[in-house]
Amino acid sequence: MSSMTNDSVLRLEGLTKRFGGLVAVNNVSFDVQEGQIFALIGPNGSGKTTVINLITGIYPIDSGTVRFLGEPIEGLPSHRICWRGIARTFQNLRALPAQTVFENALLGKGYGKEGVGIWHTVLHSARYKEERAHNNEEIDEILEFVGLSDVRNERASQLPYGRQRILEIARALVTKPKLLLLDEPAAGLNSQEIHTLMELISSINERGISVLLIEHRMEVVGNLADWVFVLNHGAKVAEGTFDVIKEDPAVIQAYLGKGGK
Amino acid sequence: MARLKALRRSYAPLLLGIFLLVAPHVMSHYQFYVLQKGVQTAIHVLGLLILIGYTGMLSLGSAALLATGAYTYGILSVKLGLSPWLCAVAAVVFTTVVGTALAFPSFRLAGPFLVVTTVGFGEIVRILILNLEPVTGGAYGLAGFQNLLPTNMWVYHLMLVVLLLVAIGTERLGKSRIGLALKAIRQDEIAAEVMGVNVKRAKVVAFALSAMLAGVSGVFLANLTGYMSPDSFTGAESTTFLLMVVISGMNSAVAAIVSSIILTWLPEVLRFLASSRLLVYALILLVYLRINWVPSTKAAVTDLIRKLGFGKAGASGESQVGRG
Repeated sequence: MSSMTNDSVLRLEGLTKRFGGLVAVNNVSFDVQEGQIFALIGPNGSGKTTVINLITGIYPIDSGTVRFLGEPIEGLPSHRICWRGIARTFQNLRALPAQTVFENALLGKGYGKEGVGIWHTVLHSARYKEERAHNNEEIDEILEFVGLSDVRNERASQLPYGRQRILEIARALVTKPKLLLLDEPAAGLNSQEIHTLMELISSINERGISVLLIEHRMEVVGNLADWVFVLNHGAKVAEGTFDVIKEDPAVIQAYLGKGGK
Repeated sequence: MARLKALRRSYAPLLLGIFLLVAPHVMSHYQFYVLQKGVQTAIHVLGLLILIGYTGMLSLGSAALLATGAYTYGILSVKLGLSPWLCAVAAVVFTTVVGTALAFPSFRLAGPFLVVTTVGFGEIVRILILNLEPVTGGAYGLAGFQNLLPTNMWVYHLMLVVLLLVAIGTERLGKSRIGLALKAIRQDEIAAEVMGVNVKRAKVVAFALSAMLAGVSGVFLANLTGYMSPDSFTGAESTTFLLMVVISGMNSAVAAIVSSIILTWLPEVLRFLASSRLLVYALILLVYLRINWVPSTKAAVTDLIRKLGFGKAGASGESQVGRG
C-alpha cells in the first residue's frame, strides 16, 4: 500500500503540537485511505488523542497540514470540520446525560449547516414537520443499525457504560461522516461488548465510512485494522500492517514490550 | 411518579389557563395588579428559560434589558409622541439588538466571568438611565406615555395571548433540533461543537430570543405601571428573575409561568418581613435544591452550578477533552 495515493481521505503532513515545553505531537505524517480502518496505537501519553483533537480543531495546530478529501481543514472551527464529514467519539463518555438516546442522536444533526431555522421551528411550519419526520426516520434507522432501538426514549445516563459508548458512535453516524474517529471505543468494555463493538465497526466500515481508530486492545486492532500507525512520545515509531507491526522490534520496545505478545 | 408526571403534564396548562382567565374577575383591584405583574414577568422569564435553562448562559443583567424595552417605549412615546404600537415595535427591536450584543462576550467568557459581565451590563444601563436625565427623567422617573390599549383588562388579555404564544413557542423550541443544540451547549459545549453545532451562532440566537422577550415584557411593564424609574431595574430584580427560572426546573414553560407568578406574589405576602424577606428567598432556594427530584431539573441546576466554577475540577474546558 503506497502512502501517497490519490484516494486518501485524510492526510496529515508534519503535524506538530507543543504544550509549553512538551512536544505532544512531533512532525507526524500519515494517510488514511478511503474505506480503510486505520489504527493509531501507542503507549499512554504518546499523543494519540492530541492527534484527534488537532484533526477535529479542538486544539490549534502549531505547524503542519491536515487535508481532508484533498482540502486543507486546519484552522477551521470544529463544527465546520464536522460538516465536512469528520465525526468523532471521545475517550471519556460525553453523551448528554440528561437527554434521551434519541435526543443524543439528534444532536448529530448539528445546528447552522442545514435544516429549517428558528421561526419554522417555533411555528411548526410544513417545512419543519417535513424535516422532523425525515430526521426521525433517519435517526431511528441508525439506532436500529447500532442496536439501540429498545432504549430510544431512555435517558442516556441510565444506559450501561458500554451502550453509552455505542450511543456516541450512533450520534457520530447521524452527522453522516465520511471519516469516523474513534477514541478508545473499547475502553472499559467487557469481552462480549467488545465483540459487539468490533462487529459494529466492521459494518460501519462496510457502509463506506473510513475509520481512524485509537485502541489499546490488541485483539481489536488485530481484527479490524488494515493499517497500523505507532506513535510514541508524539512521534512516529513505525507503520504497516498489524502482522508486520507486531514483529517490529522498535514497536515491541516502545509498546508491546510490557504485557504484549 | 410517572403517572403523576403525566397527569401534571396534561392538566397543569389547562388549570393555569383557567386560573389566568377567571382570576381577574374574582380578585381585588390590587390583587389583579399583582397578577398582571406576574404575567408580564412570566413573558420575560420564558426568555430566560431559553437563555439560562436551555443554553446555560447565566445572565444577571436581564433587568437591564427589561428596562431597555420599557424605557425605549416610554421615551419614544413621551418625547416623540409616536403611536404606542410603533413605540412597542421599536422597543422590542432595539432591546433585541442590545441583548444580542451581549452574546459576543459569551464567546470567550464562561462561568463566573460571563455572570460578572452581565452584572456590569445591568449596572451600566441603570446608571445611564439615572444620569441621562433630559431623556429618561433620571431618578424622577418617566411617566405620561400612551398605553397600547384603553383599559388594563384589555392589556391583560393581550398579555395572556402573547404569553400563550410565547409558551407554545418555547416548548416547541425545547423539543426541536435547535433546542437540543442549545441544551447541548449547557451540558457539554465541546461535544456540541464537534457534533456540528455552530455554538457561537446558537448562543447569539439564545441571547436574541431572550432579549426580544425582555423587550416585549418591558413594553407591557410600561403599560401596567404607567411610570418607570431606575429603581425598578436593579441587580436584585435580575436575581429574582434568575430565581424564577431555577425554581421552575428550567425545563418547562408552564412551570416557568407558575413560578414567575408565585414569586411575583411572594414579596406582597411577605411584606411584613420587610427586607428580611430576601432570607426567605434563600431558604426557598435551598429547600428546593435539596428536595429537587426531577432528574432533568437536577441536571440543569448542576450544570449551572458547575458553570459558576463550583463543580468538580475539570468539568468544563480543555481538561475534559482527554489525555494525549
